Amino acid sequence: MSNIAGSRSSLTWAVHLSVLALVLLWLFPTVGLFVSSFRTADQIATSGWWASLGSAKQNVVFRAADPDDNRVAEGDIFVVEGNLFEEAGRTGTIGVWGTSSRAIDAYVAGETAEMKGTEQITVAADGAYRWTGSGEEIAGRGQRVFATITSPPEFTLENYDSMLLDPSNSEGMAKAFFNTLTVTIPATIIPIVIAAFAAYALAWMQFPGRALLIALVVGLLVVPLQLALIPLLKLHLGIGIGKGYLGVWLAHTGFGLPLAIYLLRNYMVGLPKDIIENAKVDGASDFLIFTRIILPLSFPALASFAIFQFLWTWNDLLVAKVFLIDATGQTTVMTNRITELLGTRGGNWEILATAAFVSIAVPLVVFFALQRYLVRGLLAGSVK
Amino acid sequence: MNAALLGLITVVIGVGGCLGYFYFSNLFLDRVLFPPKGPNAGRNINRANQIRPWLFLAPAVFALGLYLGYPVLETLRLSLTDRSQDGAFVGLANYNQMLSEPKFWEAMGNNMLWLIVVPAGSTAFGLLAAQLTDRISWGSLAKSLIFMPMAISFVGASVIFKLIYDTRPEDKEQIGILNALWLKFDGGIGSALFLKALPGLILLSFAALTGYVAWLILRRTGASAWLWLGKAISGVFAAWMILMALRATFNIFTAQLPYGDPQTWLTLPFYNNFFLMVVLIWIQTGFAMVILSAALRGIPEETVEAAIVDGANPLQVFFRIKVPQIMSTIVVVWTTITLVVLKVFDIVFAMTNGQWQTQVLANYMFDKLFRANDWGVGSAAAIVIMLLVSPILVWNVYNARKEMR
Amino acid sequence: MKQTLLAGAGVLALSAGMSAAEQLTVFGPWLGPDQANVEQVLADFAAKSGHDVRYVGSDAFEQQIMVDAEAGSAPNIAVFPQPGLAADMASRGFLTPLKAGTGDWIRDNYAAGQSWVDLGTYADKDGNDQLYGFFYKVDVKSLVWYVPENFEDAGYDVPTTMEELKALTDQIVADGETPWCIGLGSGGATGWPATDWVEDMLLRTQSPDIYDKWVTNELSFTDAAIVGAIEEFGAFARNDAYVAGGAGAVASTDFRDSPKGMFDSPPQCYMHRQASFIPAFFPEGTVVGEDADFFYFPAYEGKDLGTPVLGAGTLWAITNENQAAHDLIAYLQEPAAHEIWMGLQGFLTPHKGVDTSKFSDPTLKKMNDILLGATTFRFDGSDLMPGGVGAGSFWTGMVDYAGGKDAAAVAQEIQDSWDALK
Repeated sequence: MSNIAGSRSSLTWAVHLSVLALVLLWLFPTVGLFVSSFRTADQIATSGWWASLGSAKQNVVFRAADPDDNRVAEGDIFVVEGNLFEEAGRTGTIGVWGTSSRAIDAYVAGETAEMKGTEQITVAADGAYRWTGSGEEIAGRGQRVFATITSPPEFTLENYDSMLLDPSNSEGMAKAFFNTLTVTIPATIIPIVIAAFAAYALAWMQFPGRALLIALVVGLLVVPLQLALIPLLKLHLGIGIGKGYLGVWLAHTGFGLPLAIYLLRNYMVGLPKDIIENAKVDGASDFLIFTRIILPLSFPALASFAIFQFLWTWNDLLVAKVFLIDATGQTTVMTNRITELLGTRGGNWEILATAAFVSIAVPLVVFFALQRYLVRGLLAGSVK
Repeated sequence: MNAALLGLITVVIGVGGCLGYFYFSNLFLDRVLFPPKGPNAGRNINRANQIRPWLFLAPAVFALGLYLGYPVLETLRLSLTDRSQDGAFVGLANYNQMLSEPKFWEAMGNNMLWLIVVPAGSTAFGLLAAQLTDRISWGSLAKSLIFMPMAISFVGASVIFKLIYDTRPEDKEQIGILNALWLKFDGGIGSALFLKALPGLILLSFAALTGYVAWLILRRTGASAWLWLGKAISGVFAAWMILMALRATFNIFTAQLPYGDPQTWLTLPFYNNFFLMVVLIWIQTGFAMVILSAALRGIPEETVEAAIVDGANPLQVFFRIKVPQIMSTIVVVWTTITLVVLKVFDIVFAMTNGQWQTQVLANYMFDKLFRANDWGVGSAAAIVIMLLVSPILVWNVYNARKEMR
Repeated sequence: MKQTLLAGAGVLALSAGMSAAEQLTVFGPWLGPDQANVEQVLADFAAKSGHDVRYVGSDAFEQQIMVDAEAGSAPNIAVFPQPGLAADMASRGFLTPLKAGTGDWIRDNYAAGQSWVDLGTYADKDGNDQLYGFFYKVDVKSLVWYVPENFEDAGYDVPTTMEELKALTDQIVADGETPWCIGLGSGGATGWPATDWVEDMLLRTQSPDIYDKWVTNELSFTDAAIVGAIEEFGAFARNDAYVAGGAGAVASTDFRDSPKGMFDSPPQCYMHRQASFIPAFFPEGTVVGEDADFFYFPAYEGKDLGTPVLGAGTLWAITNENQAAHDLIAYLQEPAAHEIWMGLQGFLTPHKGVDTSKFSDPTLKKMNDILLGATTFRFDGSDLMPGGVGAGSFWTGMVDYAGGKDAAAVAQEIQDSWDALK
């Protein structure tokens, strides 16, 4: 079809541009999160991620070193000297500064602030300061310095480090990761097997009630999941499965089946009739036809559903919370860890961004690696 | 590691068990129960073939019945009983109570809004993306990038969009892109262009599109009563949507916008619904695009070429030739997204929890079930969702049956 | 005395390791720093008793415990932040009464023991009152946090009456600054900080007796006294000049983020009204008592209502009985169980037998003084109301109110939801 508009070059140009705009618009949110996950908490709080390549201007409260430990006598005055940046573990340049929360831009770097009595403090652009005064004045707590600093762009792996490698966190994260895999893999494969047989029966076998069953499957596609939670959990506990992997596998199997059967049946119906009829004439049984002919031919649809179900079970929180996560805490999953982090670290964007990115990394990899199968199966399900 | 091993074992046992069941049950049927030999060979083959479909179907039917059928019936029962009276039958009392709650009507209203905006937005963007990417060299790359949000969990998506909607006080640097952009507008000519003319144009074209689709439907000929009913419903519905769009356009042009103030987007009543919908549109557009793109490719070249020879411009080709031919696919996409919308829960739950007048039915139901602990009303809400879904269900079933003939 | 002996015997049996080791699951609302703290206490219990103890926290505790109990998969011990929810569950038969004698122990060993017994006593399935909940870890809510050095810079004094507090608020506005940081956001529980405000204001405008009637709904939510208290809160929260970010930001600001405004440069605000646990959410490295401090949320001088204090606490109840669960409740009666957490952060206790020198910092002692100086102590009312109101419509109603809805209309909606539960 590309040749149709090929002659209209200006139009092609417009098309390229609008596609680019669309793609950027769609990528933008994710990129923002991705970039933020590499920034320090300070930087996230003071400038938008789109400005992360420029240097950021921010207001910081420094505190001079503790006078009781650091003051040095010089004649009849006491002096505390040091560097604000080094003591606070930051980098940057000081522009304007002040000694009171009411006047944070009272002085320019290099100037000396006169405070009560003989107390003085001088702050240079590189953070070096000299705080002088009488013995009473240079005591108690370190003087506060309110500075407006310009800090260079800074990217860090620290967020990932503390998320994945920090001993207090990593064990939980690793456990959650493997637990999620344990949930996901069986919950993806089992429904495929069951659905494939059912789909074959609904597509190629003649029996009374077939139309009704198909209608039923289509109908069940729309049942909202939430209403099934309590009756089913009660059932699980009643028959002794309890909360655990078995329960969550069964639940995911049940909830995934309608889509699986629907997709696979639609695909199988579209397979060439001759092959199946020839095989039947040759005396092959349905079981043989199914395993030798239909299954290999249906691979795209099977793969497509597998990806769907994988993404769905990996990203699921609700089903896991109800059917899996029990009071022992041994069976937590990734999404649950993330929401817990959300709960305790509400405003810490660097933690949120990193946690969210860790949780979407695996689905993204799977998605990009297997995308063509997903598309093929989807098409089988909906385009006639 | 232990858990991983356990998982592996289960895969082997579970899958092996399933396969074993299918294999041995077939074997049993063919060898023992009705062997296709001996004096009754013919009859046995027939009998075996009558039973075999049910062997194939049994696990699926069992699982469907248990995991979806049974909860539906149980919910229906719960919605008619009161647990605090030991499950006594109370008739429609729960429904009455629900109907008298303003929160329920808020949820209904919002759900209607979601039902219109999200499928329309996703389908429109999907169609646009499908048509545009089809003709360029890096189209498949563009497609996979637009498709990508499909893989992102709702929890992840809510974090992503919370960052976008973040608000800082006026005198601080905004870190949410939306507020940063918003503060660039000052009420001048640029603001009028982007914040009034553009949305107005989008709404007007939406109204025009609705009118066009309605016209296409009303034009269809036939004498069946169903068709007339369908025509009447879609006519009324389209008229209502056009009216709403026109009203919204009017509001946009007359509204006084608070330029210069950072906005807390998620707490602006009414408009915050749209900020939540954007998340779902962002996720679902890829799906619409993929399917519509395939449908576009399935259009016979001759029809398009003939139109071009007749002097049709690209827009005409698209709307007159292509869209009508893929109308059935558009409907499929639309209904599929509608289903997702009716079940939408995670986004609202994670971003506003239904506050600031953003309640939707699925979250209302969750609230009633697990927070207010009122299973009667919660189940009644679930039944309402089921009822809203049922037209699609009927339509799906009708199509499935048509296909069988 | 006999009861103390009994309890003592229980502790003895416990420490002698006579009971067979069991698995014990504890489910509570704490995550993050508090989770680490409670785990230290439980680890000590595990070491002493030999039981295998596991703690799980959830930020959706209210929903999760209900689902689990309903389905029969409850943990052994649940730590309720809300007595109302526990009462709901007791009436459905999900809780196991504590061992006989526990009530007497509480009466003897907790300050204001009878009130703690009353707060933990609910009607069971058949309507008989039984003691289900044991309070461990309490919070004082009537606190206002501030940065002393900022007050010094501006020359403000700590107010001792509500009139002075209001004057200070206006003074700060007149100085071109913003007095308050208020944030109601809390995920699924968004709105609860506002309920504390309303309760504090109610205790400062009406007699405790009105408060008690309101909590049991003898007095309707729509009563002028209650609507008045809501509007008192609105006087602070709905005034654009009073709150950082303007009134519109109140409902959406996360309560964990909102105190951070006090530490910004320049300060976003000067005061923050929140319970004793909030220092856990101050910026890293903040030293309470130096970088930040608190004062008692004062009462009106002109109203003669004394010095009311609003508080809350977590209540430990047995949701799935086993010996280990009873052992844990017995362990919580030992002073040592309190002293471990006292040495950490954000812990107050009504236990009279603890060594108060074990508090990790002097500010906790100062909070205890506020507790002791109270002429009226009332438990957080929203926590006592039925879950559907106290953890539902009251929260959402306050969000609506903060968003600009009329106080009377909000009160009517909350009352309707309460009526629906009856």
